[in-house]
Amino acid sequence: MISIGIIANPASGKDIRRIVSHATVIDNYEKVNIVERIILGAQGCGVDEVYIMADTFQIGNRVIDNLIASKELKANIKLIDIKLNGNVSDTINTAKIMEDMKIGCIVALGGDGTNRAIAKSIDKTPLISISTGTNNVYPDMMEGTAAGMAAAVVAANKFDICHTYLRDKRIEVFRNGIFTDIALIDAVICKDLYVGSKAIWNVEDIIKVIVSRAHPASIGFSSLIGCMMTIKESDDYGASVDLNCLGKTVIVPIAAGIMKKVNTCNLTRLNLNEEYYYKAAGRGIIAVDGEREVPFKEGDEFIFKITRNGPYHVDVKKTLEIAQENGFFIISGEEVY
Amino acid sequence: MRRMTYAEAIRDAMRIKMKEDPDVFILGEDVGKFGGCFGVTGTLYDEFGEDRVRDTPISESAIVGCAVGAAATGLRPIAELMFIDFVTVGMDQLINQAAKMRYMFGGKITVPMVVRLPVGAGFQAAAQHSQSLEAWLTHVPGLKVVYPSTPQDAFGLMLSSIEDDNPVAFIEHKMLYGVSGDVDDEVKKIPLGAADIKREGKDVTVIATGKMVHEALAAAEELAKEGLEVEVVDPRTLYPLDKKTIFDSIRKTNKAVVVTEEIKRGGYAGEISAMISEEIFDSLDAPVVRLGALNAPIPFSTKLEQYMIPNSGDIIKGIKKLV
Amino acid sequence: MNLENSRIIDMYKTMLRIRKFEEKAMNLFAEGKIPGFVHLYIGEEAVATGVTANLNTNDYITSTHRGHGHIIAKGGDLKYMMAELFGKATGYCKGKGGSMHIADATRGILGANGIVGAGQNIAVGAGLSAKYKGTGQVCACFFGDGSTNQGTFHESLNLASIWKLPVVFICENNMYGISMSQSRHQAIQDISDRAVAYNIPGVTVDGNDVFAVYEAANEAVKRARAMQGPTLIECKTYRHRGHFEGDPAIYKPEEEQKEWLAKDPIKRLESFIVENKIQTVDEINEINEEIKREILDAVEFAENSPEPAIDSVVEDIYTDIVEEVNLV
Repeated sequence: MISIGIIANPASGKDIRRIVSHATVIDNYEKVNIVERIILGAQGCGVDEVYIMADTFQIGNRVIDNLIASKELKANIKLIDIKLNGNVSDTINTAKIMEDMKIGCIVALGGDGTNRAIAKSIDKTPLISISTGTNNVYPDMMEGTAAGMAAAVVAANKFDICHTYLRDKRIEVFRNGIFTDIALIDAVICKDLYVGSKAIWNVEDIIKVIVSRAHPASIGFSSLIGCMMTIKESDDYGASVDLNCLGKTVIVPIAAGIMKKVNTCNLTRLNLNEEYYYKAAGRGIIAVDGEREVPFKEGDEFIFKITRNGPYHVDVKKTLEIAQENGFFIISGEEVY
Repeated sequence: MRRMTYAEAIRDAMRIKMKEDPDVFILGEDVGKFGGCFGVTGTLYDEFGEDRVRDTPISESAIVGCAVGAAATGLRPIAELMFIDFVTVGMDQLINQAAKMRYMFGGKITVPMVVRLPVGAGFQAAAQHSQSLEAWLTHVPGLKVVYPSTPQDAFGLMLSSIEDDNPVAFIEHKMLYGVSGDVDDEVKKIPLGAADIKREGKDVTVIATGKMVHEALAAAEELAKEGLEVEVVDPRTLYPLDKKTIFDSIRKTNKAVVVTEEIKRGGYAGEISAMISEEIFDSLDAPVVRLGALNAPIPFSTKLEQYMIPNSGDIIKGIKKLV
Repeated sequence: MNLENSRIIDMYKTMLRIRKFEEKAMNLFAEGKIPGFVHLYIGEEAVATGVTANLNTNDYITSTHRGHGHIIAKGGDLKYMMAELFGKATGYCKGKGGSMHIADATRGILGANGIVGAGQNIAVGAGLSAKYKGTGQVCACFFGDGSTNQGTFHESLNLASIWKLPVVFICENNMYGISMSQSRHQAIQDISDRAVAYNIPGVTVDGNDVFAVYEAANEAVKRARAMQGPTLIECKTYRHRGHFEGDPAIYKPEEEQKEWLAKDPIKRLESFIVENKIQTVDEINEINEEIKREILDAVEFAENSPEPAIDSVVEDIYTDIVEEVNLV
């Protein structure tokens, strides 16, 4: 039995970045279409069980109806039956169930936030991340069919593909000694007082940025470091930098289509598993992967630690190349020259 | 004295008010470079530019509603609907919003706007482009309803309508657009609520609106040959209605024919007839004769269309019932 | 983005004022003191409050049949509102409008509206007016999820988009169009999806979080003032009561109701204020008392106000015509 799981976040692609940056709404029917293509790609490559996260828009049920109507459904599709809360907890809970079920591979549709939520719950399950938003660093823009094929290859577990990779890094956030949250890409300490629309885009209120990876092509807060140094996923370190202080002024892509000049100082390399201490001088919030999540008050003590406890993140292209090199797609016959 | 068509007269009145008052602007379908479906806005786009002669998408509800919002916030929009038949699409905005706002809000908001509404049959446009729906509008408190029959009246009434602080439904008969007439050189407003005696006579009063004024005049001309003197009264504004002029005429002739192009059932002619019967019954020698189109949708066939709309011959027959 | 504490307290007061006003209206209706239809906004206070906190007095709003919240948030006077609900001569509309038709031109309130979706076109007109005259005003157009199935929604968003009008379209998705749940009345879940069709930004926010609403509206209003065109903001919220008072709302699942009551926007803001030490519980209680007094004053004003004079029934139809007042 080869199984994959699909987690499609119905809420992605609709946040305030639609107004503050040049982003557009991603409608949910497009997500339904992508999920259909993932399934078609996966079942074509041997997947027979597909588990889909239930959600308030019923992406899963719509997919099932459509594929039955078009007579294309071969795999057995099941929805993960949980009580829906209509928020990020649905993703976290579903990912946990999928991990416990030992599903062969999870394909996620969403942005950095969606992947962060999944990463909170999974340990061994490999993850393929399709971007359905703007401003994403962790997931990639890719065709669902290819993602489905790669998921099949990973789930078939023939070539031990995922374990050829390192696990991803993540930033673990401890508040007053208690493990509180994680970030896959960046944790941002800002002076904002309330969570509000969650997304963070105002540079003026940011105190500090901590990243697990950085590249000038990665749009968002990690680019604050990315525009000065590159930190690859394979590098065993991250970095931090302070903002709005005297030092280097950098031009950075702070959001899709938004270039800003930002004053920075104290660019510091943070080694893996090293504890980085921060004590709050006033009220504020920590945004993880671009979303305001952890409010704090004066005197709160934080530890940030970059670890390799992140997901096994599947490189779709590389996976398909390995599969091809191993003749995975050849069903019968011999080559004729 | 200038010679101009009914369409030119409407345009000239709009031009004058637009020059006078920067808050006056036009919006509607194809009113810009195209010059309006019937060419009424003509060159105004070239004269005033696209901000003041605004082409809209085909969205009658938005045209009327946008005019309401603009009027309620200090502008004086003139909205053009291509055909009164399309007012159905914008009806909520006209009836429930424009007409009601002032009253519902205790007089605290005024809605100074004009909606131009071409009516009438006569060029084989069939059931959805030929109706005369003025009775729908006269039924609604809060609206003024204006309906000129000549270039002079169209000119003077449009000036007043734009200046009016209430929503005005300005009804124009499509078959009259090309009709020429004399218009005073002087810019002379015609107050809303003033009827006009288009022809004096002592034997019978014909109250007619729009194109029917011309049919009534033709009938009067014909009957004059028989020595019958027909007085033709054009109310010019259906609401407010100049009852005094109408009643004075009937008090003189003691006979009344009311003729409109509307479907007879439920038409405004019925309202005028009822007023006469209710209020000056004693002045009547005979019951009021009411003439209107047949109770049928407007047909396409030239023959059928011509048959169902009253003409001078029908008016003569109507008059003859009384004399 | 940060707000000064005093502004957070102002927003709290506004939300509370709406809540208390409506709870009072609810009781007065039950006692038979308020006639007609009363549509309550209870549960949706964060939307009107978060949006109007970004508006100036001369900015415009258009409202809906569920308008008390918008009007209070835009600065409407509780006394005149309450008097209008009583149908008294001192009411905003001299007793001729009632709950569904309150307007205040001096504060840019272009009226609550009894026709679902009608305000959208009027908002476009107000936006056109502001742009035409170059006044820098914007119009915030409030409407519900149900109205997004009306033609006016399409016509007005299209027009506002092609003319780049300073209008912010605020959809209060309270999950029901009268009795029909959103999942039954449209095939989409996020009304912001529809923004794509008009080439305008669309965003979905938590409508029970006044800060989330505030932030989105702040950006949208900035866009509008900069003449960059309209924005569609969908605020997910919940109508605690039935469609109107007297509607037992049997179509709303109990579980759903319970979940949303737990997300009450006022309680949420209250905890934020206390947790962040912006005010103490005692100070919050004091604010509650103060608002209660305002409401009682409004009721007293309304109760002591005269009924409208009969002659007024034919006044204010036109600016210049007074109709006949005798029936026979």
